[in-house]
Amino acid sequence: MITQITELFGLSVYTDKAAYVGDVEDVVIDVDAKKIDSLAIGNLNPDFVDIKGFKGIKVPFRIIKSIGDIIVIRHLSGSFAAQKEI
Amino acid sequence: MSLILSRNLSRKKVMSNDGMLIGTLRNVMVDFDTGQVIDLIVVPDPSFNAEGYRMDGDRMFIPFEAVKDIKDYIVVDRYLSKK
Repeated sequence: MITQITELFGLSVYTDKAAYVGDVEDVVIDVDAKKIDSLAIGNLNPDFVDIKGFKGIKVPFRIIKSIGDIIVIRHLSGSFAAQKEI
Repeated sequence: MSLILSRNLSRKKVMSNDGMLIGTLRNVMVDFDTGQVIDLIVVPDPSFNAEGYRMDGDRMFIPFEAVKDIKDYIVVDRYLSKK
């Protein structure tokens, strides 16, 4: 599906176990590879992502399963605390 | 590897590698399935002759292939940008 990148902003992100992660705040583009590198997620679900002193996480594009009215990412059990913080 | 936030891209000026001002970036077309960035959507500058470019109304499409680098300006290759 080819769409404008601004369509992504504000979409809700869920895992495939139906856990709410947060909302898309920004998209990181890799200029050399000409690809989307990751999504910057804000407004995080505090029960799910427990990081102190950070406002958001970056979700790498490869763990995204599908994008539609919401975004579904792979559920990585226990690894969300280990996600790369911004 | 240069990473940029797409919100930082909005309203950036697009220049060709021979120093001509092409216009202002309006949006970016992406393929959600592959993650590939396809096109830049540019509003051409009034002084720019948009002949030979892909147009849709007053918007111009420049293939992302043509992008050389993005810092303060977006620099695109003059020949690749006409595809």
